[in-house]
Amino acid sequence: DGVAILPAPQNLSVHSTNMKHLLMWSPVVVPGEIIHYFVEYQGEYESLYMSHIWIPSSWGSPTEDPECDITDDITATVPYNLRVRASLGSQTSAWSTLQHPFNRNSTILTPPVMEVTKDGFHLVIKLEDLGPQFEFLVAYWRREPGAKEHVKVVRSRGIPVHLETMEPGVPYCVKVQTLVKAIGRHSPFSQVECVRVQGETLPL
Amino acid sequence: GQEFQFGPCRVEGVVLQELWEAFWAVKDIVQAKDNITSVRLLRKEILQNVSDVESCYLIRALLKFYLNTIFKGYLGKAADSRIRKSFSTLANNFFVIASKLQPSQENDMFSISESARRRFLLFQRAFKQLDIQSAQTKAFGEVDILLTWMEKFYQ
Amino acid sequence: HTAENTSDLLQHVKFQSSNFENILTWDSGLESAPDLVYSVEYKTYGERKWLVKESCQRITRKFCNLTMETGNFMEPYYARVTAISAGGRSVTKMTDRFTSLQQTTIKPPDVTCIPKVRSIQMIIHPTSTPIRAGDGHQLTLEDIFPDLFYRLELQVNHTYQMHLGGKQRDYEFTGLTPDTEFLGTTMIFVPNWSKESAPYVCRVKTLPDRTWT
Repeated sequence: DGVAILPAPQNLSVHSTNMKHLLMWSPVVVPGEIIHYFVEYQGEYESLYMSHIWIPSSWGSPTEDPECDITDDITATVPYNLRVRASLGSQTSAWSTLQHPFNRNSTILTPPVMEVTKDGFHLVIKLEDLGPQFEFLVAYWRREPGAKEHVKVVRSRGIPVHLETMEPGVPYCVKVQTLVKAIGRHSPFSQVECVRVQGETLPL
Repeated sequence: GQEFQFGPCRVEGVVLQELWEAFWAVKDIVQAKDNITSVRLLRKEILQNVSDVESCYLIRALLKFYLNTIFKGYLGKAADSRIRKSFSTLANNFFVIASKLQPSQENDMFSISESARRRFLLFQRAFKQLDIQSAQTKAFGEVDILLTWMEKFYQ
Repeated sequence: HTAENTSDLLQHVKFQSSNFENILTWDSGLESAPDLVYSVEYKTYGERKWLVKESCQRITRKFCNLTMETGNFMEPYYARVTAISAGGRSVTKMTDRFTSLQQTTIKPPDVTCIPKVRSIQMIIHPTSTPIRAGDGHQLTLEDIFPDLFYRLELQVNHTYQMHLGGKQRDYEFTGLTPDTEFLGTTMIFVPNWSKESAPYVCRVKTLPDRTWT
């Protein structure tokens, strides 16, 4: 093991949005040199039962950037310890460990981006592809007194989907939220968008 | 969303497909290390005809054994990082399930918990008849038998 | 005395399974092996004794149907093949542990697409398997997989799709333009086992609207 002359990476933090988890830290700078970083993780089980066991990250061992996508490493809804060290040739720094373990149930769920269009009498919605963990709960209704709200769970990702065959002259409105089974949570609803046959989309 | 329902014991926040995909990634490697094809630890009589209410006691005993005895010994030796990753997914999700199982300790449940204990002892006895390394390897290779049984309680 | 290298006689011994029809297949490593014969045995994992597959003894073909012998779809099985050359060389190789419930693939469903003037009806026929219930009747995929569902998509002029889906077998895409061609696909999903069939595809044209002619 090389002598630890290199400073350990600092300011570790995890930025997690819509179940995409990014571990970031302040870069270690040695002028004129390329620093490599090694990221490792352990779940709650390893930390409790075998704390000496750490597993190399899928995408961050090694990496040249001061960040690592740990999404594929976090595969249970438990706290995960994460650590990083820097390396330059035979020199390696000490490990720097994330101060507070990360749990994927803390991810920020944003309202999904949607595109509501019409084709003839067909009401069509297109939703962004957020990955296999996501389902979309789509609520749609006729904007008229006493109208009933219909709900559909949509799994198709990134492909426009027919929601309803519309009657002319009546505005149809849509809102959508994401559902994530693995953490039992859902996002806030998106903005409402309305459309009418032979009419333009009516912003609220 | 989907959850496990072992009789009165409910467990959310675990996606069964994630466990399957973790195991399938290493199934052939792990099972090929088990060359005692004439011995099976999770035999049919252990997992067959388990009532809903008994299932909570049984799954808790099995998962705790896997966490304390099988996974603990096995991971230390697993050099292949693919096995370690799959292993970590299974161990941490088993840990989530086990920590959420709270079977009733009431006296009137004694006969049911005893029945579950007898089933578990059949498994443990078979485990102890092998040397520890072979037993851990075989038990890890039988996670698919355990997941297949757990599937019945996943709704 | 060096161990004779016979691995070239026999390779890739494995099960190929779809809709629970389980076929054991293998290859001979040799370019041509006219004098090679093969014999097959199988057993349930955990059993001591290997059982002989009578109709696959000293055969020259390189496959053997073990559907009946591996019919308990939740049970793990092994099979092994012994290859024997005329010169007396022989080698035996075993499959990986095989459980058809986990490893079988799902074939595309059988669907009847019926075009009408402003709609297309799609009727999915049940898929039977070789597996029999206790009373002898053949199980369908729906019997075996409680979480099985169907997913139907109708491609509308390359810009968007209509989606229908569920556990029932009769669907109808409505509100379509008469005398227009559509591409319909139907797939089987079994989420808990991460299984997904290849699509059944039908290209149909709605009937012309003759109401005003």
